[in-house]
Amino acid sequence: MDFDFSDDQISLRDAVQRWVEKGFSFERRHGIAKAGGRTREVYQELADLGLTGLAVPEALGGMGFGAVEAMVVCEELGRGLVTAAYAPGALVAPALLAAAPAEVQAAWLPKIADASALVVLAHQERAARYRLDHVSTRATQAAGGWVLDGAKSIVPAGDEADAYIVPARTAGAETDGSGIALFIVAKGVAGLTVRGHPTQDGARAAELTLRATPATLIATDALPALEFAVDVGIAALCAEAVGAMDKLVAITVEYMNTRKQFGVAIASFQALRHRIADVKMQLELARSMSYFASLKLGGPPAARRLALSQAKYQLGQSMRFVGQQCVQLHGGIGVTDEYLASHYFKRLTVIELSFGDSMFHLGEVSAHMQDTAGVFA
Amino acid sequence: MDLSFTPEELAFRARMRTWVAANLPADISDKVHQALHLGKADLQRWARILGKQGWLGWAWPAEFGGPGWNAVQRHLFEEECALAGAPRILPFGPVMVAPVIMAFGTPEQQRRHLPGIMSGDVWWSQGYSEPGSGSDLASLKCKAERRGDYYIVNGQKTWTTLGQYGDWIFCLVRTSNEGKPQTGISFLLIDMKSPGISVRPIIMLDGGHEVNEVWFDNVEVPFDNLIGEENQGWTYAKHLLAHERTNIADVNRTKRELERLKRIAKAEGMWDDTRFRDEIAKLEVDVVALEMMVLRVLSAEKSGKQSLDVAGLLKIRGSEIQQRYAELMMLAAGPYALPFIREAMEAGWQGDQVGAAHCAPLAASYFNMRKTTIYGGSNEVQRNIVAATVLGS
Repeated sequence: MDFDFSDDQISLRDAVQRWVEKGFSFERRHGIAKAGGRTREVYQELADLGLTGLAVPEALGGMGFGAVEAMVVCEELGRGLVTAAYAPGALVAPALLAAAPAEVQAAWLPKIADASALVVLAHQERAARYRLDHVSTRATQAAGGWVLDGAKSIVPAGDEADAYIVPARTAGAETDGSGIALFIVAKGVAGLTVRGHPTQDGARAAELTLRATPATLIATDALPALEFAVDVGIAALCAEAVGAMDKLVAITVEYMNTRKQFGVAIASFQALRHRIADVKMQLELARSMSYFASLKLGGPPAARRLALSQAKYQLGQSMRFVGQQCVQLHGGIGVTDEYLASHYFKRLTVIELSFGDSMFHLGEVSAHMQDTAGVFA
Repeated sequence: MDLSFTPEELAFRARMRTWVAANLPADISDKVHQALHLGKADLQRWARILGKQGWLGWAWPAEFGGPGWNAVQRHLFEEECALAGAPRILPFGPVMVAPVIMAFGTPEQQRRHLPGIMSGDVWWSQGYSEPGSGSDLASLKCKAERRGDYYIVNGQKTWTTLGQYGDWIFCLVRTSNEGKPQTGISFLLIDMKSPGISVRPIIMLDGGHEVNEVWFDNVEVPFDNLIGEENQGWTYAKHLLAHERTNIADVNRTKRELERLKRIAKAEGMWDDTRFRDEIAKLEVDVVALEMMVLRVLSAEKSGKQSLDVAGLLKIRGSEIQQRYAELMMLAAGPYALPFIREAMEAGWQGDQVGAAHCAPLAASYFNMRKTTIYGGSNEVQRNIVAATVLGS
């Protein structure tokens, strides 16, 4: 049991930090958001640092790093409030492709590593909410291979992506756990419509419609692979959220020590001191559960899923409290567009509503908890 | 970064588990698992079993006769004891006064007091709070005046936990009114059989006699019983607080109680009520997050690479969670928590239960647990401390 970072992990963190300080100012972020949230250029800069190959095996052009390195990177991107589809493209997509045949991996993973392809998971459907086994998109075998029919929603960086990994049903009813396959769909193929839109955090997403759209099979009966990849995504979001909250708390502390009312720094008021103590509590609980999430990713599926739901629930609670209270502690400036605190708050809110919100994951914990509980249960 | 214990740590845990299973008396663990009343005899019997093994002072360094375990080993020992249903080791002797005697006592004081603390033969109490000095402890007034080879002690201490059994009491007393309140305080060890000491019970809201008032009326205390230097007692007391770290969160006992909560919820038909079960799920996440926070502190202590100043957070969160499981247990019992039959909280009672036997102590536990956010520095005081660290002002 050891929660220290290795020297290599610290170097990785420092490299991301340096890039954020030099290359990703709040003004740049604001400009990107105002211009519609296109972030492919930022993604390419992360690739230039080698970060998009983090989870790709070395043999396929990546670094073959693990969950802790991913956590380190995501925490720093969160701290810098970096808008780029890093976790979807560099962490979730490789996790999904791990289930693919060797030739599909060889076709896509090197391109993911060097960011010549941005591949994102397109799994959400209108009626599914956050349930992964709820898939109505259909896959059928035609003469030339598989074709897909259906629609996918809120696909991250959807109109900037080069390909989509799409869960579709080869058999079974809409909510069956079995009969779900994973496909890869390239941009620009027949029958694929992509309608992009900005999101609340200054980035973009897209609505996809698929009409007899040709697709390459990754794997059949792939719900477990989808669940694993989503858990990778949850752990990444948890880490990003910790970085974002850490920075937001630091901004708030600085504000409390400089802002004067009634002739004194507002940090001297006990009501506000207790509030920031409660904020610090939520931050440290969140950090603890972010570690937990990443360190449980390699575990057996049932325990992993429960652990990730526990983590996402804690993070959801923490993000909402820290986000809301840091805005409150700023007063009026906290609810303006010009000041960065509100942008952290909005990103934290988007993270809470991604891959299952607090209520969803509480339900998962409630449904699956065992007689004994704890970190090692 | 790694969540698993080393093979050596796992072997240590197995050794602890085996030892506790073989040495913890079943009648005592039954009482703990059912939250029945534990008397002095139960507590002291378990203390002496540990003492004989040299583990009552489980956090002591080897040079003072302790096992010399590191932070992780101490945690594993505490966890095995808690999960097996061992009573809580009363901290006043082995956890609170012993480290002060080790750090600041004379060799003679160490020879005289440490063996009795380790063996469990000498029952220690804590004399800090006074009626006028709660959160503002440094304002304490209980006075010790030097007269020849003695201090003459006059005043009152209160909230003295299980002081009715105390052989000795360690006290913060005022020896000077000069300067800041903190600078005129001394740390005295006092034999509770000394003439002039009287102990009066305070009956708590659950009907239990857990705490006392201790009165000092011209009590003669030999000068040799002063720890360290006169007027430096506040410094020593702060050293003691620094030693209360992860165990303040009591996460191991909480894991055991969460299991009991689930058993009670199932027995009372509340497990299938999703509204109720969701509340247990929230608590379960709280417990896992608290445990992770404790493990982070242990890891930092073990490696020495990072300092984690989260003792205040552990106290706040740990105490809130203890209150919550007690509350949920009572709510699970519903109306069957309402009867107040004292005998039903004693092991072996053969009378007619109202509802299931497990319901009998639940309301009393709920009421009793309100103390956890008040003692050991109220949670509001802890928030002041956390805020000062976060804000740096």
